Amino acid sequence: MSKTILSVDDSASILQMVKLTLAGGGYSVVQAMNGADGLAKARGGGIDMVLTDLNMPVMNGLAMIRELRKLPQCTGVPIIFLTTESAANMKQEAKAAGATGWITKPFRQDQLLAVVRKVLGA
Amino acid sequence: MSGNDPAQTYRQEAADLLDQLEQALLDLEHTPGDADLINTAFRALHTIKGSGAMFGFDAVAAFTHHVETAFDRVRKGEVAASEPLIAVALAAKDQIRRLIERPDDVDGAEGAAILDRLAAALAAPANTPPSATTTWRLRFRLPRDAMAMGTNPLLLLDELRSLGACTVTADTSAIPPLEMLDPTACYVGWEVVLVTDQTRSAIEQVFLFVLDEMQLDIQQLSDRAPEAKPAAPPAHADAAAARTGSSIRVPAERLDDLMDQVGELVIAQSRLKQIAASSRDIQVKAIAEEIERLALELRDTTMGARLVPIGQLFGRFRRLVHDLSHELGKDIDLVLSGEDTELDKTLIERLADPLIHLIRNAVDHGIEPPAQREIAGKQGRGRIALAARHLGHEVLISIGDDGGGLDRALIRQRAEEQGLLASGTYLGDGELFQLIMQPGFSTAHEVTAVSGRGVGMDVVRRAIDSLRGNIDIASQPGQGTEITLRLPLTLAIIDGLLVRVGQGRYVIPLSAIEECVELSAEDDTRSRGHTFLNIRGSLVPFIRLREVFATGSEPDPFQKVVIVSAGEQRVGLVVDQVIGDHQTVIKSLSKLHADLGAFSGATILGDGTVALILEVAHLVEHGQQHVDTRQAAE
Amino acid sequence: MTVMAHANDQALVVLVLELQNESFAIETRHVHEILDPVPITTVPGADHAVDGLINVRGRVVPLADLRLIFGMPAQEEGRDARIVVIEVPIDGDPTTIGIRADKVNEVTELAAASLEHTPRIGLRWDPEYITCIGKRNGAFIAVLDMGRIFSRLVNGAQPAAAA
Repeated sequence: MSKTILSVDDSASILQMVKLTLAGGGYSVVQAMNGADGLAKARGGGIDMVLTDLNMPVMNGLAMIRELRKLPQCTGVPIIFLTTESAANMKQEAKAAGATGWITKPFRQDQLLAVVRKVLGA
Repeated sequence: MSGNDPAQTYRQEAADLLDQLEQALLDLEHTPGDADLINTAFRALHTIKGSGAMFGFDAVAAFTHHVETAFDRVRKGEVAASEPLIAVALAAKDQIRRLIERPDDVDGAEGAAILDRLAAALAAPANTPPSATTTWRLRFRLPRDAMAMGTNPLLLLDELRSLGACTVTADTSAIPPLEMLDPTACYVGWEVVLVTDQTRSAIEQVFLFVLDEMQLDIQQLSDRAPEAKPAAPPAHADAAAARTGSSIRVPAERLDDLMDQVGELVIAQSRLKQIAASSRDIQVKAIAEEIERLALELRDTTMGARLVPIGQLFGRFRRLVHDLSHELGKDIDLVLSGEDTELDKTLIERLADPLIHLIRNAVDHGIEPPAQREIAGKQGRGRIALAARHLGHEVLISIGDDGGGLDRALIRQRAEEQGLLASGTYLGDGELFQLIMQPGFSTAHEVTAVSGRGVGMDVVRRAIDSLRGNIDIASQPGQGTEITLRLPLTLAIIDGLLVRVGQGRYVIPLSAIEECVELSAEDDTRSRGHTFLNIRGSLVPFIRLREVFATGSEPDPFQKVVIVSAGEQRVGLVVDQVIGDHQTVIKSLSKLHADLGAFSGATILGDGTVALILEVAHLVEHGQQHVDTRQAAE
Repeated sequence: MTVMAHANDQALVVLVLELQNESFAIETRHVHEILDPVPITTVPGADHAVDGLINVRGRVVPLADLRLIFGMPAQEEGRDARIVVIEVPIDGDPTTIGIRADKVNEVTELAAASLEHTPRIGLRWDPEYITCIGKRNGAFIAVLDMGRIFSRLVNGAQPAAAA
């Protein structure tokens, strides 16, 4: 059975690219457009990994990550956030909120797959 | 597929193999080191050459031989699958195809040129210089909450392994006693000795996401290879050598005794497990777990020792079909597949007679005489296909013929005559065909020496029932019939899930279970009067075992639904409690209880009481009927 | 219908059991052991007379309640209740079965001379299921044919007590 990744981003084009890339890698993808939507989808269970942007309306990435870590169904689930190269302090804040790792933007498809394989396995 | 001309058969087989070869070569261009692809290419070439020689395609065999040799060297690691080699292999593949399909058009000079290129590609120097490796010792410990925060230490270890040979030792000194253990916390540290040609920063990259919070100590050891891990490689080689080839004869009773003893060991171990569960002594618990692991391994090895490929049985049938078809004046080909499929030896012995019956039926009643076949526009030579394969926790054995098929009208008529069927009752094909297995049933107009007495199918049905199997019959008029036997794989010990329904405990074979979900009290009330549960969008029929077993008890507030499957169908079984895994030593039920379809046997639990084992196929059918009656009533 | 008479020069060794204050006997050659009551697992869907399973030293053995087989009312088990494990042929195959008894009295020998044909009337048990009648302590005691009783049960007929 393939693993399921929750992809959260307010940019429709990023969501689409991520979905195509991950689906090509054999993963199932669930999408959300903002933190609140992401949280709701995570509550449903069955999520093996979360990939999220930080800057989003309604509920931003950091807040969502904090809330996700409170859910028992997200214990142990890797959460990867998107960040720009320069935001070193952002990495610390996101880790403190409960994130597992990051990908720097802009990223290529193979880089995305490499990070997913690193934290999730095949 | 025509059975007549071996050369034609070879051409078709070779065409398939050449396709496989081409795919493998093209993939190999992307991943030149892939051992599976290299093996696929080699095997394809090997078969093309070998079969070609057998069927008189000498030029093909001679030419392919060189390419096969080249890939044998690649397979052994003597030569790399370099780009020039792959390119010439593809050209060679085209040449082989031409030699097979249009031998007269072939240009000998072109063939020679390809072989020259091949030789050149093989002579090319190996293009990977041996790189310098360093030996490192890493000691690391992740922060306590690393796993809860999504870091998987096992994936980190895998990544280290991808850098080079690793020896991993766990540091368990920080693991607290069981009562104080937080299962989401990471208490284990690791020491890894790694031999790699990668740099130190490549190693640190593995820990990229946790580097800031973890303890990581990397030391470079001397450049020589580390003290070899005790004897593991030579032991493997020995084991591998032992595996390929030598075997000894063992009297069958000895294997039966072994199986019985293993069964008793499993029961005793189950008792030990219960005692250890209520003990506070860590050493007792540890030893009990160790014994459980050993008992399971012993169980698997013993059951494996009893496995025999079904080809042994199939082989005997060749002669049978040959003789029978001559006796009856028919022309029949017997095609076998899945001869490697392994079954427990007792299963094989008990299948011999039923299969013989079915084959006789196919030869006698299934396949028409050659003249009749020609009138029907079929080839004069009939075909019986005997196939075996595993599907889930069952083994499927099918006997198919391309004969005249079952005569529905005649079966109905006979069934009505014999009082098995009230006239006017509707029966689908599946059920109608099952009637032919009733005792004494026969549609034969005459009794031949071979069959027609109406004895065969009933006997087959009983034999398969005694093996807790099922028989499916499919048939198309004028085209043929296929009978499929579905048998549970193992007879003696299975992995089971222990559940409670009311006051009784029951075992469900783990291999039949797809998943367990909760049935909340509201789902329970909401679904009264309905017979389907909505599991992630699909509708699954369910039955409340409380009702089926008439326990008369009140449902548990936290019922569970165990979703099981048999063949293509699923049903949810509602139970009061899921207790846990149980190594189930199967004890047969006596004659007094053998006809209860819902139970396939019994077992003894750790506390000494008896638990019944559920027969999943029966319950699945029951679930379907339940649904059908409800739907009919609506 | 005749009852098989045993070779009349041989005494019959039997185990005497009590059910609802009625005594009857089973040939000891069929008896394996006698147990104190053990936990019983109920088999849903089975005939009520044989709806139990017990563990006898690692073997799963069906448990029969002869009271129900003979149409007697069910009754609470007293302190003297025992389970007698027998092995009898059912349709030719030796089968191990446990039977509940309210009391197990003794093993005794029924003298050959006392073995008689069954009188047709005034009998508690269906003559069909009696091997022979013996005399014990001045009273008649029936030796029951367990093999036949259970064979009939398996094949669908319900052995009932004679009217």
